[in-house]
Amino acid sequence: MSSRRRTQISTAVVVFVVLLLSLQLFLLAVAAEGFLAGEPALAWSATIISAVLALIAVLFYRFLPKRD
Amino acid sequence: MSPETPIWRRDFPYSTEGEEGVTRREFARFLVAASVAVTGTGGVVSLWASLRTINTGEPRRIVGLDQVDVGASYLFRYPTDDDPAILVRPEAETLFGFSQKCTHLGCVVFWAPGEQHFECPCHEGFFDSSGQPIAGPPERPLGRIEMEVRDGDVWALGAGQEAV
Repeated sequence: MSSRRRTQISTAVVVFVVLLLSLQLFLLAVAAEGFLAGEPALAWSATIISAVLALIAVLFYRFLPKRD
Repeated sequence: MSPETPIWRRDFPYSTEGEEGVTRREFARFLVAASVAVTGTGGVVSLWASLRTINTGEPRRIVGLDQVDVGASYLFRYPTDDDPAILVRPEAETLFGFSQKCTHLGCVVFWAPGEQHFECPCHEGFFDSSGQPIAGPPERPLGRIEMEVRDGDVWALGAGQEAV
């Protein structure tokens, strides 16, 4: 794999993970809203979706080329 | 020079600014760690929301009905002394009790007798006399406290979970 290709993949992975993390911060706000509103089901739903996104972020990380 | 220093560093003891930089892999690792941490925080919040017990209060006399004029309000504490609450009497036969905490960010709302609505001074949130949001940032109604008149006295019977 060329150096340029590795750089492109690394940058793409970082961008995707940043997007996922942004979505997770929104979901954390939703969970906090569920807490304040006394609706644990809402908080759990947001947390489960956040966990799925975290898993996707970990998978993206594993796609990073070893050398960048 | 420390014993962990690689041989090439001893042979070539020069450094550049780029060596202190963060690689994409390191940055991605940090982001993934933050992602896991955010999920963990959400889990703690959810668990807390599930396990906490909410004191909704016991029935208690608040004030004599004749002490609350029609169109006026009365401030009290319910269900604990740390929970500001407000009683309004928009009509002679109508009483509403609410938590004074704005459902936007928790500021204390007050009753505007002229306009017959609640106002939150922090971010200009407005609620009607039944506690429903009518303008501004709040999207949820004020926390309701069940009220009842017994022998000329106003009693609070209990607060909804959202009120405490």
